[in-house]
Amino acid sequence: MGGPAYDCLTNPLGAVRFSFGNALSSGYDPASSHGKDWGVVDLFRHYFSDESAISQVPILDSSSIKWVQPNTLVRFRGMIQDMLGNEFYAGAYKDGSTWRTNKYSDVSQFPDGPSSETQVWERRLLYCVPVPGRNQWTECSSIELKNRFLDLTGQNREKRARVDEEMTDSMDSNTLEAGLNGSPFKKMKAGEGTSSASESQVPRTDNAPQSSALPPATSTDSLPCLVKIYDSPESDLKLNDVVEFLGVLTFDPNTMMDMDSPGDNTDDFSEAESVQRPSGKVPRLHCLIHRKLETQHFLHGSSLSTELKSPQMFKEIRESLMKHLTGLLGNDHIAAELLLLHLLSKVHGRVDNVAVGKLSLNLTHLNKESMSIFGTQLRDALKSLLPFTQSIPLTIEYLNTASLGPKKDYGTNRLVPGVLQIADGTHLILDETELQPGTLNSVGVENANLLKNLLECQKVEYDFQYYKMEMATDAQMLIFSEGKSNIMPADMVLPFQPSQVNPLQVIAPETAQAWRCYLATCKSLSHSIGQELQQVLENDLVAARQTDRSLGSQDLSRLLTMARMMSVSYGETTLSLEHWQMVLELERLRKERLK
Amino acid sequence: MASDSPPANTNDGPSSPGENASSPIGNTYSSPSSLRSRRRARSSTPSQFATPPPPSRLGVPNSTPPTSRPSAARSNRPATPSHTDEPPPSSDDGGEDGADDATPTFVWGTNISVQDVKSAIEMFVKHFREAKESSDDLFREGKYMASIRKVIEIEGEWIDVDAYDVFDYDPDLYNKMVRYPLEVLAIFDIVLMDIVSSIDRLFEKHVQVRIFNLRSSTSMRNLNPSDIEKMISLKGMIIRSSSIIPEIREAVFRCLVCGYFSDPIIVDRGKISEPPTCLKQECLAKNSMTLVHNRCRFADKQIVRLQETPDEIPEGGTPHTVSLLLHDKLVDNGKPGDRIEVTGIYRAMTVRVGPAHRTVKSTYIDCLHIKKASKTRMAAEDPMDVDNSLRRVDEDVELDEEKLKKFEELSKQPDIYEKLARSLAPNIWELDDVKKGLLCQLFGGNALNLASGANFRGDINILLVGDPGTSKSQLLQYIHKLSPRGIYTSGRGSSAVGLTAYVAKDPETGETVLESGALVLSDRGICCIDEFDKMSDSARSMLHEVCYSLLLSIAQIIACSFQADEHCCSAQVMEQQTVSIAKAGIIASLNARTSVLACANPSGSRYNPRLSVIENIHLPPTLLSRFDLIYLILDKPDEQTDRRLAKHIVALHFENAESAQEEALDITTLTSYVSYARKNIHPKLSDEAAEELTRGYVELRKAGKFAGSSKKVITATPRQIESLIRLSEALARMRFSEWVEKHDVEEAFRLLRVAMQQSATDHATGTIDMDLINTGVSASERMRRDILVSSIRDITLEKMQIGGSAMRLSELLEELKKHGGNINTEIHLHDVRKAVGTLASEGFLVTEGDRIKRI
Repeated sequence: MGGPAYDCLTNPLGAVRFSFGNALSSGYDPASSHGKDWGVVDLFRHYFSDESAISQVPILDSSSIKWVQPNTLVRFRGMIQDMLGNEFYAGAYKDGSTWRTNKYSDVSQFPDGPSSETQVWERRLLYCVPVPGRNQWTECSSIELKNRFLDLTGQNREKRARVDEEMTDSMDSNTLEAGLNGSPFKKMKAGEGTSSASESQVPRTDNAPQSSALPPATSTDSLPCLVKIYDSPESDLKLNDVVEFLGVLTFDPNTMMDMDSPGDNTDDFSEAESVQRPSGKVPRLHCLIHRKLETQHFLHGSSLSTELKSPQMFKEIRESLMKHLTGLLGNDHIAAELLLLHLLSKVHGRVDNVAVGKLSLNLTHLNKESMSIFGTQLRDALKSLLPFTQSIPLTIEYLNTASLGPKKDYGTNRLVPGVLQIADGTHLILDETELQPGTLNSVGVENANLLKNLLECQKVEYDFQYYKMEMATDAQMLIFSEGKSNIMPADMVLPFQPSQVNPLQVIAPETAQAWRCYLATCKSLSHSIGQELQQVLENDLVAARQTDRSLGSQDLSRLLTMARMMSVSYGETTLSLEHWQMVLELERLRKERLK
Repeated sequence: MASDSPPANTNDGPSSPGENASSPIGNTYSSPSSLRSRRRARSSTPSQFATPPPPSRLGVPNSTPPTSRPSAARSNRPATPSHTDEPPPSSDDGGEDGADDATPTFVWGTNISVQDVKSAIEMFVKHFREAKESSDDLFREGKYMASIRKVIEIEGEWIDVDAYDVFDYDPDLYNKMVRYPLEVLAIFDIVLMDIVSSIDRLFEKHVQVRIFNLRSSTSMRNLNPSDIEKMISLKGMIIRSSSIIPEIREAVFRCLVCGYFSDPIIVDRGKISEPPTCLKQECLAKNSMTLVHNRCRFADKQIVRLQETPDEIPEGGTPHTVSLLLHDKLVDNGKPGDRIEVTGIYRAMTVRVGPAHRTVKSTYIDCLHIKKASKTRMAAEDPMDVDNSLRRVDEDVELDEEKLKKFEELSKQPDIYEKLARSLAPNIWELDDVKKGLLCQLFGGNALNLASGANFRGDINILLVGDPGTSKSQLLQYIHKLSPRGIYTSGRGSSAVGLTAYVAKDPETGETVLESGALVLSDRGICCIDEFDKMSDSARSMLHEVCYSLLLSIAQIIACSFQADEHCCSAQVMEQQTVSIAKAGIIASLNARTSVLACANPSGSRYNPRLSVIENIHLPPTLLSRFDLIYLILDKPDEQTDRRLAKHIVALHFENAESAQEEALDITTLTSYVSYARKNIHPKLSDEAAEELTRGYVELRKAGKFAGSSKKVITATPRQIESLIRLSEALARMRFSEWVEKHDVEEAFRLLRVAMQQSATDHATGTIDMDLINTGVSASERMRRDILVSSIRDITLEKMQIGGSAMRLSELLEELKKHGGNINTEIHLHDVRKAVGTLASEGFLVTEGDRIKRI
């Protein structure tokens, strides 16, 4: 197939119908298929097999929603925040003697009366939000795409009128947007009962720096999206996954507005139904293909990852990044070294309650003053280096009022996001320097436990009221504190010893890009260890334990994690003796400082 | 059942004898039906939601004579779920009344003959007997006839029918019922009505059938479009229920012009057709009819949302929900939080998305039957009864058959005890006996309340004492993870009461500590206290106070429910399981039925084997003696262990981590196994076991009277007996055995001995000395130490000069042995060393390696 019978980009549904027709003629039977894919996915996958084709598809966000047209192809990049279960729809129906399909659309193409024969199929509903804590640089600028897109549609003279209509529509949606940004969340808050928790948070974060943790979806430019998934195994997409969905946009403000069906007695039911569906103002995306996003995908336009092949490259970038980090940390070389290892950590295995690969860092000897200098600088630096960062001020008030853990609101039948509902790989800064002695109430105790549990086991408890569910979460946690934090017991504790305050460096965009790419690449490297070195490691660990009996398994485990990070920071996939010794040396220096 | 309806035989007599022969007939009826032609076309997909089948089944007109003959009743059938029929079924109903036996009617789109189904149901209702009813009951009426009578007696409205019974009697009927529930149930209702009216002609209510206990239940997640219109059963938890909605069933209209009241108009396909004109011939005014609310008939309706139970949620998913529609008596049958098993018909209705587009279906379950998951809460006094506490995520999940079977199988395995022990904290090696002890704690013993008011706890308390870095805390945390009701707290600081905690900051270092003093623990959990010895550090100045405040703080931690108990117990939390706290003039007795798992570090940085447990951890003996098992976990600098640890950690990081775990139960299985056992297994002592217990105890006591000892050493106290019983009960529980066997007791003795040997062994005599626990120093040890020291002093004085030549310890030992006399047991070199140490600390002599010098 292929051919110009349809345009995948502007008329994806045409493509769907076309291939449906093809499939029918080659023996596809809608009556027994249960709506299984008839080749649409392959068609689109083929069409979008390379990155450049994908980049043609506009990304749906709060700015592009104003100009993208319904029933065209869009991309949505976000985190799966909630799963709304399955939806049954009339997938195929007989129009006369020919089958028609409603797959990938909300409405039927031929809105005639009930057809004599319909097939009910199912699809999954995912409620997605932009990734919480996502940083500026991860966003694609869609301005050029917009122009291109408008050009594209402009070529079709006949569509002119539609574009105009779209313009007015977009104005509509502008006004709608105020409601849109918060709408589902406002609703939740209202039903929350203890709404003070999330609301009182807003003024409080005022004295904290701008980037302070806000509930993920209340930031101004967040656009949620209801994604409808077809033909994808359930295990494929999990809660909190960061995914790019490519599919047909249906965004019709009129949809769902007309809720009064005939007959009074259906009302209460549809009411019950509608609460669980997000408001009609949330755009719908009928997903054709999707892929999980890695940091690399956000590094648009750069093909650096291929250049990062040689060890020399790794070394160079590592050096420049280390220089940058050391500068930021007032020439504290050890701190910079540990910070780099920390930034490369990720959970790569779980055995029981042990999350292997986590490496949280606690920088001590920081107070309010030094925080305002180093903390802020570091925070900004991390924001420019990592895709998702958040910072949480650990104050009594915050802990007592914030809603960190996600909660299920059965009033709306939705999962109310908490600050700790985050995508894997999110970096969290916990600032304990502001913490004063005081009493934690039950919320505070719960929040402290959540944070501690996240730190120790990399798990967050989601509150489903009648029971709790632990979700594995992979977060890098950096703690600033005055003394060693016993509330947040980190893997590595290091007294921070800056020797000078360096002026803020200006980073060239290319350099920043290279660093991001470096961090992302290193993080994704696989890692192993040779047989001989394994023996060396074992011997060293035994020796370490023989000399210092206070070393527990956690300490030994940490050493190995550090070794792994050290190794990947040089772009190597097998541990070398040199790197192992570097780690031991680093650990020795750290221990020395602790004395 | 027979007593319920004694007149049964007279009434039903004739039909009963033929029962045995008739059961196969039910089957044969349906088979020839496939040959017959299909006559009636019925759509079985209702597109309207408003009137689902159960209410419309009710909608069989009242005007039907109660004595409805089968044929008459069947003619009512179209008024049943067929309200959405495309071609009105009544149209070809015409000749049917007369020809009811000759030409069969079929369920639309199938070859299921209505007559066949009907007679099969009749057979079933009239003749089904439970298998356990013996053959001499042949003349008694069947199970369901009895319940029909009962319903008539109490003027009930429904009959519960166990789907298993249907299957047992007629699998074919069962299959039809599950596949075409709307039609079959409608027929079922009609059959019931017929039978009811044949028994009591004046019975006016409509009796409905409620099917429950389907053979297979689905999970919410697996519902798919092919289940629509099928009978399904699933489990879940109610998360929300609507208010009760009145739904109109019969409407009465009145003419505004002439005041004529119409006959009740029955809801049809979710709609009431308002008469366009007055029905009175004299009036016939147009658009004059108005609804008279208080003469209409309404039925209750409720919409409930059901969420799947946590164990069905796959990793990385959120729970699914489904709507339930409840009618009439089912309304308010469950409240949010209840776990239910629902049987119903899965249905879909069209949601209006836009003005003209109807593609989305919303689904719901039309409930036929709701069964609440049994929460058999026995007397609240028994700590074991509600012990669902060991479930991690959820407390009352009913174990399904499959799981149960798996557990049964597991429990039958000969090495289940070892296996369970292996599964416990597989990341921590060795400490096998400690793990076994912990396992006993998890399973627990039986609590006993005597009529006299004395009660014996069933909980097992364990104390782990040991060197830092011996994964005590990890063990504690692991147990805590297993036991959600339990709490984990660190002994460091316990000030605030209630759910709060205090953030303290060290003014010098700026270290922050969360003093989570008194977290509330619900009863019957395991209370894990880390750094037990650090508890109420400040109050250590007075031993008494320490003891009291320590108990008090435990009490605060443990206590959860106030009990209006007049008698004021002493603060013996762990023994009496209640505690009284005098606060603000109110003496409250709190329930504290908790197992305590505590761990303590030695007061020195390392455990000093020369000192007793009590000296090592500075805990009051009164408290220490409450622990059933005290384990010493000493970190012997053993390269072998270290190597294993190193190997394991390296493997954890660089190899497939899973391989590290050999054949062990995963944590969820373990928890549910434990909770099932705690809930359902209550072992008793067998005679043999009791005998062994007595024998062993006596032996243990005897061990104290070693030859020549001037003072009797207490090797066992009655407290140990209790511990032993608890331990052996727990051991029996692990095997799901209702009887404590001899080997359980033996193992309990072994466990106790191992624990005591570590903590209460008198190093001098090698025997267990409870004085070590009770007073801190063994009786013999005190004596012996004194003798030895004085002997050495004597020898030294005799043989050595101040500043003179040194003497080897071995020589000293020889001398001592020669000296003999007043030392009745064998002396070892290490004893000598110890004694020499004491003398050295007195400044009497100095040691140089293996030699001593007198100063």
